[in-house]
Amino acid sequence: MMDSNNTSKKFKEQLIKNVKKEVKQIMEEAVTRKFVHEESGSITSLCAAVEACLSQGLRRRALGLFKTSSTTALLHKMAKNFEPASIISQKVQEMENTDPNNSDSCATRAASVNSTLTSSITLPNVHPPPLTKKNSAGSGLGPASITLPKYLWIRLALFEKLLAVIIDHLVQNCSKYYEKDSLVADPDYGSILSSLLVGPCALDYSRTKSHDQFWTDPPADELVQRHRISSGYHTSPPCRTPINYRRNLHATSNDDNQRQTPISAKDYVESLHQNNRVTLLYGKNNVLVLPKDVTEPMAGYLSLHQTVSSLIIKWTPNQLMNCHSPGTNQNDHPEIDASDKSQYWDYAMNVNVDEIVYVHCHQQGNDNGGTIVLVAQDGVQQPPIHFPQGGHLLAFLTCLENGLLPHGQLDPPLWPQRGKGKVFPKLRRKGRSQIQDISNDLSSNTEESRDYVFQIISKARHEEFLSKGEEILDSKIWSMPSAANNMLNRVRGHLESSSTNSSTSTSSSLDPVASPLLINIQNTSKDTGDSLQILCETMKKQIISRAFYGWLAYCRHLTTVRTHLSGLVNTVIIDSNDAETGLTKEKWCSFKNDSNLVNDDTKLEIFRLTYFGGVQHDIRKEVWPFLLGHYKFGSTVEERNAVDLHCKQEYETTMSEWMAVEAIIRQKDRETMAANLAKLSSESTSGGDAPPPTPNTSKVLSQELSNDVFEDNINFSSDEDNPPVVDDTQLEHNVEICDNPTNQINTKKNIENIPKEIDCDKKSLSSDEGLGKDEVTEKDMTIKKNTSEDTSLYCPTSVIVTTNISQEKAMDNPNDENDKIDSKVNNNTSKLAVDDNEGTGGSNHEQRSACISPASSQGGIYPVELVENFGLNVHRIDKDVQRCDRNYPYFTLENLDKLRNIICTYVWDHLEMGYMQGMCDLVAPLLVILDDETLSYSCFCLLMERMSANFPHSGGAMDTHFANMRSLVQILDSEMFELMHENGDFTHFYFCYRWFLLDFKRELLYDDVFTVWETIWAAKEMSSSHFVLFFALALVETYRDIILANHMDFTDIIKFFNEMAEHHDAKTVLSLARNLVLQLQTLIENK
Amino acid sequence: MKNKTILVKQNPILKVVILGNSNVGKSCLMNRFVSNSFSDHTLHTLGVEFLQKELNVNGIVYTLQIWDTAGQERFRTLRTPFYRGTDICLLTFAVDDVQSFKTVDSWKKEFLQYSRTTDANFPFLVVATKVDLENRVVSKDEANKWCSEYLSAPYVETSSKTDMNIETAFTLAVEIWASTERPSELKISHTNLVKLSRPINGSAACPTAEIVSPKCC
Repeated sequence: MMDSNNTSKKFKEQLIKNVKKEVKQIMEEAVTRKFVHEESGSITSLCAAVEACLSQGLRRRALGLFKTSSTTALLHKMAKNFEPASIISQKVQEMENTDPNNSDSCATRAASVNSTLTSSITLPNVHPPPLTKKNSAGSGLGPASITLPKYLWIRLALFEKLLAVIIDHLVQNCSKYYEKDSLVADPDYGSILSSLLVGPCALDYSRTKSHDQFWTDPPADELVQRHRISSGYHTSPPCRTPINYRRNLHATSNDDNQRQTPISAKDYVESLHQNNRVTLLYGKNNVLVLPKDVTEPMAGYLSLHQTVSSLIIKWTPNQLMNCHSPGTNQNDHPEIDASDKSQYWDYAMNVNVDEIVYVHCHQQGNDNGGTIVLVAQDGVQQPPIHFPQGGHLLAFLTCLENGLLPHGQLDPPLWPQRGKGKVFPKLRRKGRSQIQDISNDLSSNTEESRDYVFQIISKARHEEFLSKGEEILDSKIWSMPSAANNMLNRVRGHLESSSTNSSTSTSSSLDPVASPLLINIQNTSKDTGDSLQILCETMKKQIISRAFYGWLAYCRHLTTVRTHLSGLVNTVIIDSNDAETGLTKEKWCSFKNDSNLVNDDTKLEIFRLTYFGGVQHDIRKEVWPFLLGHYKFGSTVEERNAVDLHCKQEYETTMSEWMAVEAIIRQKDRETMAANLAKLSSESTSGGDAPPPTPNTSKVLSQELSNDVFEDNINFSSDEDNPPVVDDTQLEHNVEICDNPTNQINTKKNIENIPKEIDCDKKSLSSDEGLGKDEVTEKDMTIKKNTSEDTSLYCPTSVIVTTNISQEKAMDNPNDENDKIDSKVNNNTSKLAVDDNEGTGGSNHEQRSACISPASSQGGIYPVELVENFGLNVHRIDKDVQRCDRNYPYFTLENLDKLRNIICTYVWDHLEMGYMQGMCDLVAPLLVILDDETLSYSCFCLLMERMSANFPHSGGAMDTHFANMRSLVQILDSEMFELMHENGDFTHFYFCYRWFLLDFKRELLYDDVFTVWETIWAAKEMSSSHFVLFFALALVETYRDIILANHMDFTDIIKFFNEMAEHHDAKTVLSLARNLVLQLQTLIENK
Repeated sequence: MKNKTILVKQNPILKVVILGNSNVGKSCLMNRFVSNSFSDHTLHTLGVEFLQKELNVNGIVYTLQIWDTAGQERFRTLRTPFYRGTDICLLTFAVDDVQSFKTVDSWKKEFLQYSRTTDANFPFLVVATKVDLENRVVSKDEANKWCSEYLSAPYVETSSKTDMNIETAFTLAVEIWASTERPSELKISHTNLVKLSRPINGSAACPTAEIVSPKCC
């Protein structure tokens, strides 16, 4: 008894868990896209999970539901006394009553069901709920027959946002419908179930916006998943095209055969998915085609796709269309094993309309459908495509004609007829009477002619023909639909094809030898015997020349590799033997001798282990300073302590320097803030009567403050266009009137504030307390706020503003003859200096004589430029530190303060470089591992030796990276390189920018960042000091198939990698990167 | 007898660039709009980021391609190449940061210089962010007045945190775009797209929407 109780409990638990999982999935989908498509696979999964819950413990017998295993009957029962249920019940009946066999009516739907099918397969399926396997509502989602989706009522209730209500009703009235021990009747699970569904019921489900929304913008995850469907046909790992020597060569026929299958498989998946570049213009199922070597016509899906450059006609046999739904393929051809599917890829058609010259149409009898034969430039006919009856032929031609616009057209054009759309053209040109005679003879039951030949004219090709002076575009041709004419066309087609063929081969630049001979052939071709011999000769020469040029290209290619890329990798290849385990704690300990000295001899081994396997997390704190060069290998403990002490002293000295300046900056900030607040409050109190904020006043203000963004951006500084008009007299007037009171207030405030300030600075100097400081600052602010508000009550607000400006003026022109103001400023600063002395007296200050005026002993007067410049940086640092990796638990306010100190210290020492966004990201992982301010600072400085050149304005390293990436892709993945060439922008490699700037810090999760960083550092000694390039390349290669299959352009790829951030499999990418280095090394070594 | 043609709509794609000082909340604005999410601690953007979202404005579904940029001046060389081909530019500032308000004008100038737009009426929208904050220093009146008088750009106040006016702002931006006169080539290409997106129903023999090319009529 207990046992069965337990199992049933477990089962219920599992059911609820499934629902939870699906709800989570759907909510995530909704968050990322803000809508969920009605045909989304996650909805089906959710419905399945709900159905499973509802089926459990249902009192079928009592309710008379034994006939069906689905819960639809339950709904109908509920409908009798529950309003929402009856709404859904009605809808279900409506849908069931529409004739599901009317396949003709909804080809669109069929296709969409079809495509949904593929997409839902990609989504992880729930464990099939035990009770719903034979669900009556859904089975056999074949492409030809329309079936209602599974779990129809649950689905509808969800879309109508009534599901939660209905389930809740069920739970409330569980005794009526459910056994006591059922899930729904369970006091906990029942309410959990209904409340779980509240979320999904609040979502919007889209149907109307279906195709485009669903297909044009698939998120990165979906692309990866789609790729998994088609990758079943791929035999190759992502890195399968290591070194491609066939850059300029024509692929051999052998290659073609190998590739056909994967390419078509990819195409197939693609043909079902409309995306940004490929628009689906036409789709029709059950179109018959008689492929070569097949006796009976086969049914398949015909589609017309528009890409940017051309139109593509595709036909895919039904057998392939069904291959993802194993349930249905047996219906069509039970004898065919799934593994034989590949043969159908040979039958599938994929025709570029550009290559088609003529479209022959044959119609049989009165609307019995029609047949289309496509004739290519080379005269080769595609297998006839037979349309079922019902005007599909015309519909197809109409779409084709539309698709050809604006650069091409059908000749003759289809005839637009009011109300009926397009019809076949009436032929009125020369020879019309003759045609009518023929057609009367051949098909006496119609008056219009039944057979047509359309020529596809593209502007470009048309001109080409005209320039050749070929007059074969005689208008008579298309007006003669007879078989004889077809023959004529074919002959012409062959003639054309031979000439185009030869011209293509001659123009391929590889045949300078062969081309004169070919011309020769054409001239002498009248003599057939001779020409045959010459033809053979030519072929021979062509083959030889091809081989030669192939070899030449290969040699050139290798020269490029050697000259441009040999610098990227070390020449010595290091063996990875036994190093995959990485640097473990045991190994690390074994490298240290008794006196804790890490021998210099073991340096290489340590790097080798790190490179191939990373460092064990516990010892990172100890190892990283060595890897980064903070400690020397072979240094004694005493030496290392000395290094640490020295660093600490320097660090603290620098800190005390910038903190003194920071105090001044803070003071200024407070004044500005007060001014702004006062200004705002004056505006609000004066009820909007304050002088309008004209651009001029704004400009005055912006002069007063340092410009955050455009500090060196003189180009568009507004002052140039409209010199600011400052009313000097008024300004001075204000100063005169109000100077005295403000001066007093200000001085008083300064006296109040400064000791606090110094106090807290002292605290943070002792390196641990930032929290207190913040509090104090806040307190100061509030005090300040209060005072300023008070002030605004007593005197006009302009006081503070003008005082500010006058002060600013004084700062701007220290030599200003305005003694009064000058002395005031001096007064303030000297006070500050005195206080500073008191506060920090005794600590080991070192003067930055370059910056500090000799007049002051400690922290005294700083040049205005220095204060402003540093202030600018501090503000930026504060903004960025506040939001740095806050989701990572390490970054509490306290640790953020350490981060800030490190960056400020670095910036103080490198003021000419200044703070750059991205520095936070580089310090953060160091701080996390080392957990020590001084050590992190020292390591950061070492790291920046390499990284700083990546930042804009401080070295062109980024451009070098991009150029190297370009060369690497060119050498290692020519297919990718071609795609990049097609989209010119692509070659800029902007999408790698952040990768290089931060050593992939934002692309990976924290734990992976540690490993990747170590590997990069170790790689310098082991394989390449440009390992980042290879890691970037490995990232690109990991997704190369997806990028190629979706023909991603520049924006797509940026979006793709943005979305994939922190979703990469770092381990795999890392080993791929190491392999890529090895490949290049081997290539260079094997001279 | 119904047709078998699958008509696929292609939405007009509008490229939207969000500009503004560092830390005014550009990324938050974008994330709130696109994925309806908000985080207090969004990392500062490096380079550019890019998201896409459909928006229905007056019955037409537009695909907005939203480009989020790095605010720091130093990254100008990285963001300016993306200005070209922009349809709408959002100039943002935070109401608690007077400096960000003052630089709105500079942002506009930078945009005009690098986007190389010849359109005198290029659709700008000034978006004030963080209006949920209590310590605001730029008042609504001031900003509104300045935008209309000096920038002649519409102004909207938003808060990504409280989801205030976010969709409104983007809708407004599209409306401005739709209402502005622009060089004829642009209009035509967009007209084509719009027509395509509306299938003409009811014509039995010709199921496809006709492309209204400039030639006909």
